[in-house]
Amino acid sequence: MRDAFSDALVRLAVQDPKVLLLTGDHGYALFDAFRNQCPAQYINAGIAEQNMVGMAAGLARAGFRPFVYGLSAFVPLRVLEQIKLDIAHDGLPVVLLGDGAGFVYSHLGTSHQSTEDIACTRVIAGLDVLSPADRHEMTACMAHAYAARRPVYLRMGKSDRGDVHSSSLAPLEAGRMIQVRAGQLDLPAFIATGSMVRTALDIAEQQVDAGVWSVPSIKPLDAAQVVRVARDSRGVVVLEEHSTYGGLGSAIAEIVGEHNPVRVMRIGVSDRFSEHCGTYSYLLKEHGLDHDCVLERIRMFIGSTPA
Amino acid sequence: MPDDRRFHPGRLRHTVLEMAYAGSTVHIGCAFSIVELLAVLYRDHLRYPGNDPKAEGRDYLVLSKGHGVMAQYACMREMGWIGETEIQSYFSDGTHLKGLSDSRIPGLEVTSGSLGHGFSVGVGIALGARKQGTDQKIFAIVGDGELNEGSIWEGMLFAAHHRLDNLMIIVDENGFQAMGATEDVLSLGNLRAKFESFGFKTQEVDGHDEAAIDSAIRSLWATAPGQPKALVARTVKGKGVPFMEDDNRWHYTRLTAQTFAEAKGALGLSEGSK
Repeated sequence: MRDAFSDALVRLAVQDPKVLLLTGDHGYALFDAFRNQCPAQYINAGIAEQNMVGMAAGLARAGFRPFVYGLSAFVPLRVLEQIKLDIAHDGLPVVLLGDGAGFVYSHLGTSHQSTEDIACTRVIAGLDVLSPADRHEMTACMAHAYAARRPVYLRMGKSDRGDVHSSSLAPLEAGRMIQVRAGQLDLPAFIATGSMVRTALDIAEQQVDAGVWSVPSIKPLDAAQVVRVARDSRGVVVLEEHSTYGGLGSAIAEIVGEHNPVRVMRIGVSDRFSEHCGTYSYLLKEHGLDHDCVLERIRMFIGSTPA
Repeated sequence: MPDDRRFHPGRLRHTVLEMAYAGSTVHIGCAFSIVELLAVLYRDHLRYPGNDPKAEGRDYLVLSKGHGVMAQYACMREMGWIGETEIQSYFSDGTHLKGLSDSRIPGLEVTSGSLGHGFSVGVGIALGARKQGTDQKIFAIVGDGELNEGSIWEGMLFAAHHRLDNLMIIVDENGFQAMGATEDVLSLGNLRAKFESFGFKTQEVDGHDEAAIDSAIRSLWATAPGQPKALVARTVKGKGVPFMEDDNRWHYTRLTAQTFAEAKGALGLSEGSK
């Protein structure tokens, strides 16, 4: 997925000299190809995220197409006000790239872990929120973000969980969920984003024969499609590597609650920081987001949801 | 100079008073301290092809200290970009001129008021202009209180490192911020030395002496290629109306019919210059 990201960025920069990459002194090795092929379009803004995001707004005003890269624990969180005032308020075509979302930096602790970014960005008026699940979605999201010519936050989570799509995707339609698996209609629909699409798919293929939808575009989100999926299923299970407050689960529950109330289970990070240090899979387990914990919760949900 | 020249400071302050009274609003002192700076910039420096505030290739005036926006409105009135009705209806329901700088208004380049934002946007515009090889000049006016914000110093590091000599930061050093004297709140020390140590070609000037401001700006642009510029303008908050000068209550105080009349009287404009 990181290769797909780098490839897409280089491709855009080569075809459009107005594309600039700004990084807050992050992205070691990731940007080697970019720096080799488009050195004049690469700006290391230093460890100074506020100024970097403000500058990106200025560069967009001057006619450039800035892509601003940081860890998702810093971009968007640390610079949320710059995103709101300097970029979103005027609909400037700036793409904010938040890498390492969720528990990617499992060993480094709370400063580098990021389970708040979707909630923070969803609420900024005029800011789109993208969250690709695999390399195919990444490629489509990058193309979509560039073509949209508006403020976009692109969330990059755990990148090595394997493909959820078997081939490259058609251009994204704003807000459309992508069905990655058909399932039995008397089971809940699994709606997931980012790294958790793989988990949802594994469970659907191995234990619970449910339909699975991936959500590369968290905002906007096609409410009519969400309502159709919810209506045709036995409740909805939403999975994300993000707080259950304000993320995709909340977005789905808002739509379903307003238009077609059915039970929604939000599987994500509860209202707590990580207690311990360990591998990525260890931390998923600590937060109840590993395969077995998720499966158990889904079985309980099915058991308590009338068909 | 005759009183009817464009951007006469007394007339600009008169417009500020009219707006502040019409809108029953605050920040008069913040606007008064930058009147001469703006007058010189609009009259002698900023280039707007076709007098179009959105013209491509224009120079940029970034009011990072958005609290002084009424002084900029006063200049925009002289430019013909906003009219009498907008002055007199300031803050009426449904009007578009706000109490702080808003980039959706043609003529205002940034949305500021939350401090420490505009300067970085200005740095980005300067970098963009440099990359495109234009001769555009970017002026960013910051308050001395605003220099409390860390993002300003991030931007200064960047501007000096990237040799943005098309950028000038202008400090409205009026010595006050919202709650008191900058010296008492968070002392800034020797600003000139600080800017110079960051790599900015720096001059200090009396921020109410138009000839001195004009000459300092010209001299900064003319010297030190490769260095961003800093103009530290010593100003008086509330300048122009004696009972407001250096009285920080006029950061937040609203005009009454009586103080409005007294302030207008203090400006001492002849009828022709209003």
